[in-house]
Amino acid sequence: MEFLIDILRWVLNNFLFIITIAIFSAYVLLAAFSAMTLRKYLRKNSYVDYNSIILSPLAPSISLIAPAYNEGKSIVENVRALLSLYYNNFEVIVVNDGSTDNSMKECIEAYNLEKVNYYFDYRIPCEKIRGVYKSKNRSFYNLTFIDKVNGGKADALNAGINVSRNKLIVSIDADSIMEPDALQKMAKPFLEETGKKVIGTGGVVRIINSCEIKSGKIRKIHLPKNFLARVQVLEYTRAFLMGRIAWARLDGLLLISGALGMFDKETVIKCGGYSTKTVGEDMELVVRMRRYMVESGQKYVVTYIPDPLCWTEVPSSLKILGRQRNRWTRGTAETLFSHKKIFLNPKYKSFGIFGYTYWFFFEWLTPIFEFFGISFFILYAIFSTPNWPFAILLFSFVYTFAVSLTVWAVLFEELTYHKYEKKRDVLRLIGTAFLEPFLYHPLTLVWAVKGNWSFLTGQKSWGKMDRKGFGTKKNSDSSAT
Amino acid sequence: MALFFNISFFFSGNKVSLPKKKIILLTALFLVVQNSSACFLFPAEEERMHLIEAESLLTAAYIEDVSVEPEDSGKVISKADSDTLAYESVAEDTFLKDLDTRREGALLIKVLIAFIIYSIFSMLVLLVVILLHRNKLELVEKISQELKEKYQGLLMDYLFDEEHEPEILERINKAAGDKFKREILMNQMQDLMVNLSGDAADRLSELYYKLDLDRDSEEKALGPKWHIKVKGFRELALMNVTRVNDEIIRCLHSKNSILRMEAQLALVRLGEEDRFAFLDHLERPFTLWEQLNVHQTIVSHNLEIPSFERWLNSDNPTVVIFSLRMISLFSQTGSWKKVAEHLDSPFEKVREEAVHTLGELRVKEALPNLKQHYKDEIYENSLEIVKAIRKMPDESVLNFLKLVIDKEDDIQLQIEAAKAIYEMGDPGIKALQKIMKSEYKNYQIIIKHVLDRRI
Repeated sequence: MEFLIDILRWVLNNFLFIITIAIFSAYVLLAAFSAMTLRKYLRKNSYVDYNSIILSPLAPSISLIAPAYNEGKSIVENVRALLSLYYNNFEVIVVNDGSTDNSMKECIEAYNLEKVNYYFDYRIPCEKIRGVYKSKNRSFYNLTFIDKVNGGKADALNAGINVSRNKLIVSIDADSIMEPDALQKMAKPFLEETGKKVIGTGGVVRIINSCEIKSGKIRKIHLPKNFLARVQVLEYTRAFLMGRIAWARLDGLLLISGALGMFDKETVIKCGGYSTKTVGEDMELVVRMRRYMVESGQKYVVTYIPDPLCWTEVPSSLKILGRQRNRWTRGTAETLFSHKKIFLNPKYKSFGIFGYTYWFFFEWLTPIFEFFGISFFILYAIFSTPNWPFAILLFSFVYTFAVSLTVWAVLFEELTYHKYEKKRDVLRLIGTAFLEPFLYHPLTLVWAVKGNWSFLTGQKSWGKMDRKGFGTKKNSDSSAT
Repeated sequence: MALFFNISFFFSGNKVSLPKKKIILLTALFLVVQNSSACFLFPAEEERMHLIEAESLLTAAYIEDVSVEPEDSGKVISKADSDTLAYESVAEDTFLKDLDTRREGALLIKVLIAFIIYSIFSMLVLLVVILLHRNKLELVEKISQELKEKYQGLLMDYLFDEEHEPEILERINKAAGDKFKREILMNQMQDLMVNLSGDAADRLSELYYKLDLDRDSEEKALGPKWHIKVKGFRELALMNVTRVNDEIIRCLHSKNSILRMEAQLALVRLGEEDRFAFLDHLERPFTLWEQLNVHQTIVSHNLEIPSFERWLNSDNPTVVIFSLRMISLFSQTGSWKKVAEHLDSPFEKVREEAVHTLGELRVKEALPNLKQHYKDEIYENSLEIVKAIRKMPDESVLNFLKLVIDKEDDIQLQIEAAKAIYEMGDPGIKALQKIMKSEYKNYQIIIKHVLDRRI
C-alpha cells in the first residue's frame, strides 16, 4: 500500500513532466507511423493512373458543395477553379448563405444564372432555401447556385446536401483552391471499398498565402512572407504529414478538415447532416458518422490521402488568427463533450480508445496544462527561487525536441512532395521552426485558454475572417484584417 | 488523483449542467496548479530545503556521533548519508551538483542532456539530409532530362532511318550502358510505344529485344520486390512478352492489392487464349477500382470483348457485378434474360446492378419483371427500378408510375417517376398536365421541376 502511495505521490509531483513525456512519445510514435504510411502510399501511388478515373463511365458521380458567405472578392474565380477540376461526372453546388455583399450578384452576372423550378426535400433540416439557380450557358451545366437564408456554414452545407443528386459529396470552403486532380484522388478509396464501407476521405490542406494565382489556379508556390502565415505552414505540415495520416492508419481519425472532405451522402443524411450547434462541425460530423456506423453494427473506414489536395488562405494577423483558434478550441471541446460516451469505450475500438483519448488529453487538455504550468513557473520565478539550472535544462530539452520534431516534419515534406521549389524557402522554414516556440507557441496557449473560456461561457459565434481573395496575381499576405 | 476522478465523472455519461461543468473544470484546473506546486521543475529546490534542515541536524549528529531524525520527513539519516550530504554541500557550486543530487535525479539529468544533444545533432543531420536531397533531386532531374532528350533523338533515328541501323543501335547501346540509363531508355520506349502502331510499333518492339530489355523486364517480373515486379509486368504487357505468364498468374492471389491488379491488367493484355480466365479464379472481392482499370484496358487497347454472360454464374458476387457492368457497357443485349435472373439475387448490390443493366440495355420485355420487383426492394433499388423504366419509355407502365407519384413520400422517387412519364412523349406530357391540375400542391412543384429543361 505504501508503495502504491509512493508511486501516486511521485505521479502527482511530476504530473506536468509525465504529460510532456507522454506527448513527446505520442508525437514520435505518430511520426513513425506516418513515415511508414507515407512511404507505402507514395510507392503505391506511383503506379496509379488517375486518368482512368476521368475517362471511365464507372467512376462515381460527385457533388461539390461550397458554402459562401460574403466571398464577393473571390467567389467568381473560385467557382471557375472548381468547375475546371479534372473529373468527368460532377456538379458544383455553391450555397450563398445569405451573404450581405455582392457575392450573389457577381455569380449571377459571371455565370448567367437564372432561377429554376428545382424541387428538393429538406431531408436534413436547414434554413429556408430562397431559390435554386442554373446557368443559361450550357458550358456551366454542372453549376447549381443556391440562395438561402443565413444559417452558418454547417447549415449551408446541409442545404447543399439536400439539393445534391449524387452519392458522394465533397465539402469545400469557397475560398479554398483544390488541386485539379483532387476529386480523382479522393474518389479512389471509395472505388477500392471491399468489406468495409468507406464513409469519408480527407486530404492534406496546404497554405496559399504568398502563392501566385491566376484564374483560380495556383501558378507558383512560395513560402508565405508573413511570419504568422509561415509558422502556420509548419503547423499544417506537422498536423497533416505527421498526425492525421498516422491516425487514419491507426483507425483513430476524428477530423477531416472542413476545407476539404469527401463523404458518403447517405451516411451523412442518416446521421442528420452537419450539426449547427457547434462551431467545429467538420470534426463533429466525422465523430458522429463513426459513432453511427459502430452503433448500427456496420463495418466502415475513414481514409486519408497524403497528397496536398487543397490550398487555403490562413490568417496573417494576430486578431483573426486568435479568433480562428478560439473557434477551433471551442469546436474541439464541444465535439468531445457531446460524444463523451466514446471516451475509452472499447466498443468503439481504436477510435474510442486511442483517437478520442489523444484528442482529449493532448489536443484539448494539454494547452491548458501547459498554460497554467508556464504561468505558475513565472509566478514562482518572481516570488521565489526556482532551481534555474534545472529549469533551463528542462526548457532546453523541450525546446530542442520541439524544434527537431518540426525539422523532421520539414524533412517529410521534402522527401514526399517538396512543394517549395526554392532551397531558400526550405531554409527559411527551418529558421522559422527555431523561432516558433518563443514567438508563436505561447500565443496558441493563450488562444486555447480563451477558447475554453468561451466554451464554458457558451459563446457560439464564428468570428469574422476577412479574405483578400485570389483574383489578384499574387496573393500577398501582409495585412489580412 | 482528484483530477482524474473529476475527469472520469465528466465522462460517466451523466448529463452535467453547465454551471456544474464549470465548477468541475475549474476544480480540475486548480488541482493541476496545486499539484504542479511540487512539480518536477523544482525537485532540487524541495530537496535543498530538506538538506538545509538535515544539515543543521547532522552538525549535531557529527558532534554526538548518533543518528537523528528530521521532524517532518520521518526518515532516519545515517552517518553514511551524512557523508554524502557533506560532500554535496561542498560541491554545490558545480553545475550538475546544483541541479539535483539524488541518484535518480542525476540519471534523469543525464537522459535530458542526452536528448538535447540528440535533438541538436538530429537537427543538423536533417538539415544536411534536406539540402543533399534537394541537390540530388535537382541533379537527377537535370541528368534525366538530358538523357530523355538524347534517347528521344536516338529512338526517332532508329525508327525512321533504317539505312544506319547498326550504327544507331551501337550508339543506343553505348548511351544506355548502366542500369539507371537503361531504365530511362525503357521509360522513353514505353511512352513512345503507347502512341505508335503498325510498322513503327513493330520496329520499336524489335529494338526492345535487340537491346535485351526483355531480359531486364523478365528479371523485374520475377524479382522479390512487389514494386519492381509491377514495373516488369507493365513492360512485358506493353511489349507483349508472354514468357513469364505463370508468375503473373501466381500474383493474381497476392495479398498486395496493387500487384494483384497489375497482374490482372497484364493478363488481360497477355492472355493468349482466354484473356479473362482470371475471373474464374478470383477469390477476393473484385473492387470497382480494379474493374474500372480492366474496362479501361479493354477500351484503350481495343481488345476483343468476350460474352460476359459466362461469369454471371460466378460464386464471387463482385465478379457478377463486373459482368453485369460489362454487359451494360458493351451492350450485350442478348444476355438480358440471364441478367433478369439476378433480380432475385440474395445480394442487394447485384440486384441493383441487374436493374441498372436492364435499363441500359433498354429491353422492354423486362418491364413487367422490374415492376414486379419494385415493391419488395430496398429504397436504393426501387429508385434504380424507376430510373431503369425511364430509359425504356412505354405506356404500359404509365399507371404504375402514376401510382409511384401518388403513393410514395420520397421526393426522389416521385421526381424519377415523373421524369419517366415525361420520357413517354405526348401521352406522358398529357398525363403530367392532368396530374398538375390535382389539388395536391407537391404535384405541381414536382412536375414543374421535371418540365424545366434547364435543370
